[in-house]
Amino acid sequence: MERSEIPTFQPRLRVLNREQALAIHTAALEILEKTGFKMEHPRALEMIADKGCKISDGDWVRMPPHLVEEALKTAPKQISLYDQKGAKAMDLTGENSFYGTGSDATFTQDVETGERRRAVLKDVSNFATLVDGLENIDFAMSMANPEDAPIDDIYVYVFAEMLRNTNKPIVFIADSGRDIAKIHEIACSVVGGEEELKRKPFILNYSEAISPLLFPENVMEKLIFCAQKKIPLCLPSGSNAGGGAPVTLAGAMALGIAENLAGLVVHQLAGKGSPFLFGPNVSAMDMKSSVVCYGCPEWSLTQAALADMRDEIYGLPIWAFAGASDAKIMDAQAGAEAMFSILTALLSRANLIHDVGFLEYGSTSSLEMITMANELIAMSRFYVQGIPVNDGTLALEAIERVGRGGPGSIFLMDDHTYDHFMEALFLPKLLDRSRYDAWENEGAMDLYKRCNMEAKRILSEHEVDTKPDAVLKEIEQILKSS
Amino acid sequence: MSEFSSLTEAVIKGDIQTAVAETQSALDAGSNVQDILDKGLIAAMDEVGEKFSTGQMFVPQMLRSAKTMQECMKLIKALFQEGQLSAKGKVVIGTVRQDLHDIGKNLVAMMMEGAGFSITDLGVDVSPKDFTQKAQEVGADIVAMSALLSTTMPAMRETIEALQEAGIRDKVKVMIGGAPVTENFASEIKADSYAPDAGSAVIAAKKLLGIT
Repeated sequence: MERSEIPTFQPRLRVLNREQALAIHTAALEILEKTGFKMEHPRALEMIADKGCKISDGDWVRMPPHLVEEALKTAPKQISLYDQKGAKAMDLTGENSFYGTGSDATFTQDVETGERRRAVLKDVSNFATLVDGLENIDFAMSMANPEDAPIDDIYVYVFAEMLRNTNKPIVFIADSGRDIAKIHEIACSVVGGEEELKRKPFILNYSEAISPLLFPENVMEKLIFCAQKKIPLCLPSGSNAGGGAPVTLAGAMALGIAENLAGLVVHQLAGKGSPFLFGPNVSAMDMKSSVVCYGCPEWSLTQAALADMRDEIYGLPIWAFAGASDAKIMDAQAGAEAMFSILTALLSRANLIHDVGFLEYGSTSSLEMITMANELIAMSRFYVQGIPVNDGTLALEAIERVGRGGPGSIFLMDDHTYDHFMEALFLPKLLDRSRYDAWENEGAMDLYKRCNMEAKRILSEHEVDTKPDAVLKEIEQILKSS
Repeated sequence: MSEFSSLTEAVIKGDIQTAVAETQSALDAGSNVQDILDKGLIAAMDEVGEKFSTGQMFVPQMLRSAKTMQECMKLIKALFQEGQLSAKGKVVIGTVRQDLHDIGKNLVAMMMEGAGFSITDLGVDVSPKDFTQKAQEVGADIVAMSALLSTTMPAMRETIEALQEAGIRDKVKVMIGGAPVTENFASEIKADSYAPDAGSAVIAAKKLLGIT
């Protein structure tokens, strides 16, 4: 009789039990119902007042829990993002995880000189090109707040710059309802129209409410625009422990989730069934420097908790972070912090994982960090696959052959090794395992240096498929009309 | 040892109850009010500032000390004649037009107050006109502006221009800060000082006004 197939256990992290998840959810609902929030967008205010929210002091809203339950029912459980050529690239649902870069770093670590300097538009194109050329980076964000872009349309220029240099999905920022309309117009021109973009979206908007409990008008303009145009959106307020939120992680999560749920309610009222990526950013404020940490264990812990809440309660795909650091240069701290969050994000099955490649708590971007992260993601993905157990992997025949093969018989020579080593083992590209003399002869380079060379190689060799001239011209025209 | 050493110690510890009691007993014993302020409270906050900037104290501890000082001030404020209470300087502070992020600004305001500055906090989304009017009204020494969004940074320049048009640019020092703000941007818009965090904002403010 043939042995039945043994399912492979894939390592999975859980950090909350069901009671904890429900208690945080209940607290979030209580915040919305008893404390309330400030809604500065008049139409959004009108919409939720019509549905039974209590309004006081002009724009202070108290929201009954049933509105949240209804919104959770109509929001889709799956968000598919496509690449710019129309191929499905990111199926955001269930346990699928995708990594990408972050946005709006003020500085960058110059790839030629290594110095920290103010970011410019050329950096946006370099980061997009690198993302396009790295196999484990699935989507692009700008990574820069360029000094040389016109400030009123900075996000439009940044978006256009990304489009010219990558065909992967893009997570974009906008300031208000004004510039998001231009960005949408450009995105439509890339795929051939608004209907096509709705059918196969390659963009996702990142907007933020302000913790605690503030929904500014410009933010809600963007949210309503996305809901109406079916542009996928996330709304992670910065409910950081000790900063925008209470210092205890449960309370910080409850507050951030409450803000997300309030946003979701408005979103679903403005566009029933429109895609909403769930989840707040719950990091921690450093109690000495008051920076919001990007390399801390707290953020990895809260997003693992959010993944558990997704599984227990919400069912919506979630927003997450990884691969970033508070270190000022790509040093050992940067490597340790990047790996910690990359691995835990995957172990907890976060869905859309951004901020890969940040140094200095998100203020400095680094091409080398992304290049390193690309390899750390590969390492983590290998780990999370687990250990397949079957006749082929148990390899009793190979053991028999080599064990009884007499002198000179080694596994390295066996066909089983030849046939399977590429998928059986993790084969690093940048992590160095060479023997000492070889490493020394190659220039005694550390990982930063190797990543620097690899990033430069990709920037000079990787060819991004260019868009048709007509599309590029249209983008130019929309930019000029700004 | 200063005669106010137990008061100073209580403020550094953030022990509100003890500090208030110490302030009261100093008053009851007939101590000079200006001495209580200078040698007791401000001396304590100077040490707190020093400890904080050298990493021996955490933000919540530093803020508790500032709160402790404020509670003590409630007791002695009333004993000063109008205008007699000398602040280190008058600061008008706020986030710039269309910027609603105020955690950093609040932290700066608290720390400056703790260091002995008199603070007028205009809150968030403050227009160039409101900054200017308030600066004129209170006779500000410093106008301090914060922005978290790069898209609101131009309002810093506009505020400086508004101060100029009102003819008070040479009477006030302008300080700016916030995540996207840089030293270069500060010199570009002709601000007098840029501070990357709340601790250095206090140091920069003292330097601007020539206070040691």
